[in-house]
Amino acid sequence: MLFRVITKEAFRKFVNTLLSEIEIIAPRKVATDYTGRSIYHYLPVDRFEDVALDYDTTRFSAKTYFTPFKENLASYSFQNGDWTQSIRYRGVTRLILGLHACDINALLKLDKVMARGPFPSPHYIARRKNTLIIGIDHDPCAGGFCRSLGTDTVTHGFDLFLTDLGDRYFVAIDSDRGFSMLQEVENTEVTEDDRVEYSAVRRRIAKGFTTHVETHNLPNILDIEFESPVWAKWGAKCLSCGTCAMVCPTCYCYGVSQEFSMDFASARKNKQLYSCNLYDFARVAGDHNFRARTSTRLKYRYYHQHRGFVETYNEPMCVGCNRCGNACLAGISPPEVIADLHMEEKA
Amino acid sequence: MKAHLHHFDITREESMLLPVEFHRKTRLQHVDKAFKAEITRIVPLTDMERLYQLRILDPGERERFTFFPGQFVMVDVPGFGEVPISISSSPSSKGLVELCIRKAGLVTGVLHKAGQGARVGLRGPFGTFFPMEQMKGKNVLLIAGGLGIAPLRAPLYSIIENRPDYNTVHLLYGARDQSQMLFGYQYEQWRRVGDVKLHLIVETPDPCWTGEVGRITALLEKIRIDPDETYAIVCGPPVMFKFVCNRLSELGLPMHRMFVSLERRMHCGMGKCCRCNIGSTYTCLDGPVFDYWTVMNLKEAI
Amino acid sequence: MKYLNIAAAKPKVGVFSLTCCEGCALQLANKEETLAAFLSAVDVVNFREISSDKSDDYAIALIEGSISREDEVASLKAIRDRAKVLVAYGTCACFGGVNRLKNVLDFDWMNREVYGETPKATSPVRPVREVVPVDFEIPGCPVSKAEVERIVTHLVLGLPFAYPVYPVCVECKQRFTVCRFDLGELCLGPITRAGCNAPCPAGGLGCWGCRGPAEAPNYEEFLELARSRGIGDAELRERLSFFGGFDSAYELAQDEPLAVRPVA
Repeated sequence: MLFRVITKEAFRKFVNTLLSEIEIIAPRKVATDYTGRSIYHYLPVDRFEDVALDYDTTRFSAKTYFTPFKENLASYSFQNGDWTQSIRYRGVTRLILGLHACDINALLKLDKVMARGPFPSPHYIARRKNTLIIGIDHDPCAGGFCRSLGTDTVTHGFDLFLTDLGDRYFVAIDSDRGFSMLQEVENTEVTEDDRVEYSAVRRRIAKGFTTHVETHNLPNILDIEFESPVWAKWGAKCLSCGTCAMVCPTCYCYGVSQEFSMDFASARKNKQLYSCNLYDFARVAGDHNFRARTSTRLKYRYYHQHRGFVETYNEPMCVGCNRCGNACLAGISPPEVIADLHMEEKA
Repeated sequence: MKAHLHHFDITREESMLLPVEFHRKTRLQHVDKAFKAEITRIVPLTDMERLYQLRILDPGERERFTFFPGQFVMVDVPGFGEVPISISSSPSSKGLVELCIRKAGLVTGVLHKAGQGARVGLRGPFGTFFPMEQMKGKNVLLIAGGLGIAPLRAPLYSIIENRPDYNTVHLLYGARDQSQMLFGYQYEQWRRVGDVKLHLIVETPDPCWTGEVGRITALLEKIRIDPDETYAIVCGPPVMFKFVCNRLSELGLPMHRMFVSLERRMHCGMGKCCRCNIGSTYTCLDGPVFDYWTVMNLKEAI
Repeated sequence: MKYLNIAAAKPKVGVFSLTCCEGCALQLANKEETLAAFLSAVDVVNFREISSDKSDDYAIALIEGSISREDEVASLKAIRDRAKVLVAYGTCACFGGVNRLKNVLDFDWMNREVYGETPKATSPVRPVREVVPVDFEIPGCPVSKAEVERIVTHLVLGLPFAYPVYPVCVECKQRFTVCRFDLGELCLGPITRAGCNAPCPAGGLGCWGCRGPAEAPNYEEFLELARSRGIGDAELRERLSFFGGFDSAYELAQDEPLAVRPVA
């Protein structure tokens, strides 16, 4: 990997030049919650001043820019008693600015499902390859447990990755397009001082984590505790509202449905992100529901994130951003649920 | 600066220009593309089930569409949706696919209204299959309950067409009553031409029924099974295959030589949507055909 | 559908208004870009918002509004006799709607307040299903035209239509709406059936539950949540009773007396 240093002023110019050329998605403050905390979303920006690079976390992940909440998979037109199918892929270039390490790691996990392995998704790949990513380091956010999952740092999956050194950024470069673009603005070689400062910042960040989740042997514990009362306890609280999966940077499950246009001349096949916590996730024709209880649905989400994904990819799907925990109105959060499971296993 | 952002046009990728072949599942291709197929014949079986014969229209696609017994296709009814249906015909008939469809939900309901000549889409084939090669030289037990006879017809045809490769073949078929027994018009052919020992049983007999009465497991007691030389394929509802496989296990058949086909709701067929997951196993990728030992290890499978 | 060799019906639809604002019927004439296509898919024979033709020949009757007078019962029964399919159309028809709020008030007092010296005959407000059998319900205040279109495309092909079973939260999340609870407000989103695309929370107003409950709602936890955010049972009851779709949740929210007592 190559490294450079860029002043904040030069970086501002860099972003402004890009703003005149492509769409930029970046964290923006959209509201203040009732406790006084700022609420940020990844949204399109028009001006550099709207970008909140010092944000702690966003309420929603950026996955919708890669595997959208709603996406057209195919269209059909009807003529003379026959139909024609057409498929279009989105290929518009854009930049996502300010992704944190956990979210870039989340994309690397999504890549494994959507871009590699069986049946790579052209819809996903078209979006992914046309999206430039500039990540940024940050001090641990409240409740985040990415360090327990090894996703607090990232080594690839971005174009540029920034670490704030006060008046300048230490920049890791992971792509030739990132490198070429950076060449267009003033930047400098990394000096000994920059390196020392960078290490100090990384040490400060690493020390700042307060939430820990014990992941040792978790896949096996989940299997052993399949009938644990822990699931009934948390399941009773679950509102089955799907919020956890919607805000999650890795939850990718979906439903496909089709609908006619009002004049019946065409139809669309649409994908909509779904959640395994929703009541009918595993309901089949004939009204049989394989997971009719909230406890089994809740359990399934943990089972998939922390066991199933490990079986296939040797790593959990969860990146520890705790967005689901923050967003859950019933107060169900992975650190607490997993701690409960460990307690149960010891008991 | 934009000059450095080379636009990636996926439609110009080399593999995207090649014809879609679902067997090449690691290749980047138009996986949402459906092969257009025409319903060439509809055979009514019961009030709820019909056999659909479909022919892929494009000659090139017809040539490339091959499948193994046990695999399924996603049937795309434009405007209405897609459903997974296991293929019920012989793998040797190129581009001609038979699907046995029970009227159960919206899409299958539409198919039951559709007439001959209607055009639907097919994506696939998808999923795992019965190890027909491994079974060669061995005895085969084909065991079906109810609609389970539909996925069983594919391995049955495969065996009949390559009959000398297999030893003794038994087909055990149980249904609620005689009216629910599917494909009755083919039994003589399976027996006489296919040299398949056919055993039927019903749970509630009509006055005219002269055959066996009881659960399907009762048929297992009527035949001689050599556990060291036998494979079993069991298709039917979970409670049925559970009893059958447990009994076969007691008779000494190893669980990794019993194969079952599981059914789940699917939205993609490609290991993405998670709707068919059992625990965290994809029925569409790792199944629908599993050996019974694997099924025993799947949470919430039975 | 021609490609499936299925014939599409063009059903005759009559639209009838009981006690309501007629906003739901007006929705039928909404969404100009598809209005022509909509009106060629169905044959609207009795609908004063867009046509002055009157006909007693219809297969489908859309009933908007609730029943608040005895004479409405008679006309509703007559419509039921004529229609093959009777649809409760809009929140008032499905649950009683806002009109039902009057049921907790003293009728004489109310009549005087509204009509002064010329009181009108009135009875407790009821949803359509409490008076005649209903074949299908389309909730919403007002109904969503996009959803009505989806229902109609199913209807003309003789197919069952299924509503989303999940609550409004899913749709809020899918349009990046800030959670009203995060802003310290009450919202019935977590227990209300989705399908409206959550316009209210996005527009700055917590959900009032006009579409009635989602499937298998967790009322106990929902009330727990609201109480933990400092929302009293009185406010909860007011919200839950507003459109009339949450009677069983209402029964659970009894820890605190009503802030505004019914006039006795």
